[in-house]
Formats: sequence, C-alpha cells, structure tokens
Amino acid sequence: MAIFTIDEVRKTFTNGEVKEEILKGINLSLREGEITALVGASGSGKSTLLTIAAGLQPASDGKVIFEGTNMINMSSEQVRKVRASKFGFVFQFAHLVPFLTVEEQLMLMLDVSESKLKKHEQKKEVDKILKLVEMDHRKNAYPSSLSGGEKQRVAIARAIIHKPKVLFADEPTASLDSKRSKDVMMLIRNLTKTLNITTLMVTHDEEMLSYVDSIIKMSDGQVLQNAV
Amino acid sequence: MNIAWKEIKKNKVRFMILGSIVFLVSLLTFIISGLANGLSQDNAALIKDLPNGQFYMSKDANETYNMSRIDSSIQDKMLSKQKDAVAFSIQMGFLNDRAGKQQSVAFVTSTDSSLFKNVKKGEIVLDRSMEDKGIKIGDTLTNNQYSGKFIVKGFVDQRKFSHAPVAYINMDAYKEIYRVNEMQLIFVPGGDSTQVAGLQSFSNNQFLNTIASYKAEQMSLNMIVWFLVIISGMLFAIFFYMMNVQKIGLYGILKAIGVKTSALFKMMWTQMLFITVIALVLSVSLSQVFNMIAPKGMPFSLTTDTTVQLSIVFLIIGFIGATLSGIQIKKVEPLQAIQQGEI
Ligand SMILES: Nc1ncnc2c1ncn2[C@@H]1O[C@H](COP(=O)(O)OP(=O)(O)OP(=O)(O)O)[C@@H](O)[C@H]1O
Ligand SMILES: [Mg+2]
Repeated sequence: MAIFTIDEVRKTFTNGEVKEEILKGINLSLREGEITALVGASGSGKSTLLTIAAGLQPASDGKVIFEGTNMINMSSEQVRKVRASKFGFVFQFAHLVPFLTVEEQLMLMLDVSESKLKKHEQKKEVDKILKLVEMDHRKNAYPSSLSGGEKQRVAIARAIIHKPKVLFADEPTASLDSKRSKDVMMLIRNLTKTLNITTLMVTHDEEMLSYVDSIIKMSDGQVLQNAV
Repeated sequence: MNIAWKEIKKNKVRFMILGSIVFLVSLLTFIISGLANGLSQDNAALIKDLPNGQFYMSKDANETYNMSRIDSSIQDKMLSKQKDAVAFSIQMGFLNDRAGKQQSVAFVTSTDSSLFKNVKKGEIVLDRSMEDKGIKIGDTLTNNQYSGKFIVKGFVDQRKFSHAPVAYINMDAYKEIYRVNEMQLIFVPGGDSTQVAGLQSFSNNQFLNTIASYKAEQMSLNMIVWFLVIISGMLFAIFFYMMNVQKIGLYGILKAIGVKTSALFKMMWTQMLFITVIALVLSVSLSQVFNMIAPKGMPFSLTTDTTVQLSIVFLIIGFIGATLSGIQIKKVEPLQAIQQGEI
C-alpha cells in the first residue's frame, strides 16, 4: 500500500537569468514499512527530490501526497506540523544541537512533536530508544564528545523517537567508514521494521543497497527504472 | 524543555561577554545621568527644590532674571492677594572670610516666606558646602560693598545656585550691596499663570531655562545621556545579531525537525531578558554604591526615578535590538543549514 506518492513533481531553479529544470516530472510511491533507496549520479536531483518530499522546500509543480493529502497545498505551518509529528530526518551529518545532552536531544524532539506522554514516560521512552541504538551509556554526553558514528546513532534515535510515519535519510552513512556504515544501515533497517516506519533514503554506497526493499534510479532529473 | 536556559548554561562565556557589554554600557549611562542630575542640582537646587508654581519678572527684563526690577506697588498688590507668594532676588557676589579669603556665593534675599531663609540684619545663613571651606557658626564675614558685618547664624542643606553656595542675607544688606530697591522675582507656589500688567510669568521649568548657563549645561548633558542610550541600543542589536549569525545553522536544524519560529523567538527573548536583567541589577547596584561613596565635592545625584526610567528604556532597547536581529531567524531556511554541513 502506498503511503506516500509523488506525482509529476517538477522543480525549477533560477540562477540569475537562466532557468534550470532540476526535476523533470517525477513519479514514484513508497510502500508502507519499506525502505526505498534513491540512487543516481551526483547532481541528478536526489537531494532536491528528498527535501521536497520531506516538506523542506516547495515543488514548482506536481503533487506530494501523504496520507491522502497533497502537501503542496498546505500552509507552511501545516507542513511544519507534519514534519514535527509524522516525519523523521537523518542527514549526512548528525546535526545535533550542540548544547543539549544526548538525552535532552531526544526529549526536545518529543516536545516538538507534541508528545502526549508525561515527563517520566518520556524519559522511559528515551531510555528505550537509546538502548536500541546502543547509546544509553552516553545519555548525559554532549555531541562534542561523541564520535561520528555515535553522533549518527543519536541522530537516528532522534529521527524515530516520536514514531514518525516516514523517515527521510540523505546519505546517512556518507561520513562513516565501511564497518560503521553497515552498523548504521542495520540499525535503520531493524528500527524501521520494528516500528513500521516507511523510509526514503538517498545513498551513493552500493553496499547499502542490500539492506533496502526497492531501488529507484535517477538520472538528470528523471526516474530511470523502478526495480526491486 | 527550556532550551534557552540550556544554551546559556552550556555557553556561559559567550553570554557573559554579552551581559558584560550590557552591564558596562548601562553603568556608564547611569553614571553620566547621575552626573547630569548632580550638576543640575549644583546649578539650581535653590530653584529646583521649590514647589511647582509661577515665577514673575518684569517684562522689560527680556527673560533675564537679574535685569528684572519689579515695581514695589505691583509687588505689594501681589503679595497681599496671594498669602504665600514671595518676592526675592539673587545676585552672585563675594564674602571675605576671617583669613581675608574671598568666597564666591549667590546672595539671596526675600520677603517673609517659609520657602526661603529669613535672616535678621547682620546675620547670614549659608549653604552647608561652606562648612568644608572652614567657615563655622559664629564666624564674622564681610563684603566689600557692605558697611556692616555678617555673623554666620547657621547652614542649610542643598542650597546652590549657579554652582555657588547660597548666602541668605537680610533685605537691607542686599539693597545696600547692590544699590537697588526693587526685588527681581515673585514666586507664587501652586499658582496658575495669571496676567499681571508689566510682568511676565514662567513655570518652574521655563524659569530654569531662562538661566542661560543652566540651559546650555543641561542640554549637553542630556544629549550625552541620549547618545549613550542610542549607542547602547545599536550595541545590543549588533551583539545579538552576531550571536544569531553564529546560530543560523542551529536555527535551521531546529526548524527542520519542526520547532516553531515563534519558539525560536521566545528562546531569544528569554535569553535577552535574562542577560539584560542581570546586567541591569548589577549596574544599578553599582551606580547606587557610587552614589553613596561619590566624593562630597563631586556633584552626583541618581534618583530611583531616573534609574527605573533608564532601566526600562534599556529593556525596551534590548528587546528591539534582539528582535531586529532576530528577523534573520524568520528568514533561515532549514534546508540551508542541512546543506551547510556540521554545525
Ligand atoms: N537552491 C538551489 N539553487 C540552484 N540550483 C540548485 C539548488 N539546489 C540544487 N541545485 C542544483 O540542482 C541539481 C541537483 O542537486 P541535488 O543536490 O539534488 O543533487 P544530488 O543528486 O543530491 O547530488 P549529490 O549526489 O552530489 O548529492 C544540481 O545541479 C544543483 O546544482
Ligand atoms: Mg545530495
């Protein structure tokens, strides 16, 4: 079942006088609970597509349908609400808040998603997720004292603690070595399968493709093939 | 969760630097304003401490009090109509002390009134600052234009005019020294301005502003105070701006995960309020300490009113500065932050 559909999405950037069409009518859909990989040459428009789908920038044309509603027609406040409560994000860098401890990062995310849990329940939830990403022993550490892989694991924990419907990941393993990349990929797979989260992930790394359910290949702003 | 507070706790030094700027600028403003007020007190306490009312001088004096001569028949009429009205004169002059040293004073004489000191012939009452010059009760003072002698009867606090201590003398002595029969001014406390033929009326402030030296001095001091206020406003804005620029990436990430822009503004306002209040508490206390320990000869007077007023102005300025610089927060695109890499 498709939880997320992208329909004829176009994106045009204007650089001075020159108009450049970066996305030339993209169609794709994500099946619930599956991990979909977005691959393709550098500059083919993967990140642009991912951020449009995630509501981080508007499309020039087309539809982005999530849970039956076209996000293109939503106000920015409505989009923010969807982002805060239904989406999770992991990027190449962890982008943790530098002045919050690991535990506080996750508490903040629960706040932002307007979690109905009571304070002590929130703390329990944070402990649970930190155990899943094996970071519970560092819950009082600040980001500056964590290694790259540890930061990324905290970022993943932050992306899923509010039980989002969709996880967007843009090269989540690009800053990690190959062993850590595999660990992080395993983690994403296990977590999304356990929590039934649908995932759209951009990756350059061929090795990561063995962990995904379907692959979409992009070239020059278009989808090339839709293969499993 | 209070992320505003968490950030202050983690970045103490950064916030302390900002706070110390606010502290220093506000302290400087308080001190300058205390000096301005002190000088104004030193220049015209005699007039400033009078209750609100109306001053009258003769029209042909062209708003210069020491050119004014009030006709004695008009004076009698006014004083009989208004029970607490008082006619008085002020002239700068000199007294010779026992050692023969000349002391500059402002001679003041008046008709019977509780607002001025009335002294008998041959007596004199001086501003307390003359005590510091070694003059004591019972001393005998002379004036070159006066045939008699003055015996110091007592001292009064805070009676200054034109930066000189006031010397209250008997009207006959005054008339002899300055060879005049008429008084310069009539003061009617609490009175509304009424038309009196040949006289021009002034409110307390209007009258103070006819004293040229007073007006010029206050204008330049007030200008300094307001420049300081404006400059501190700019400093606030610039420092908040620089801090916000460093935090653009952070704001972007917070926005990306769904934090409301209004929450980011609240975070900034909370931090601004926290810093400004602490800095103001410190600078207010320090300036009050200064008020107490300022050397006697230094005219310094900082009232609670002025302090509260300036503090409110600083809070408003801090708020505006922070908000103006915070407009960037509104503009931050979450995407930029993500593409810019690690924060
Ligand atoms: N804000 C923008 N303004 C102008 N052009 C842009 C903007 N964002 C992206 N582009 C252009 O769109 C094209 C696609 O960019 P995008 O980041 O989506 O590529 P990508 O497939 O993610 O590449 P990579 O694998 O290198 O990350 C690039 O040519 C890029 O220069
Ligand atoms: Mg990219």
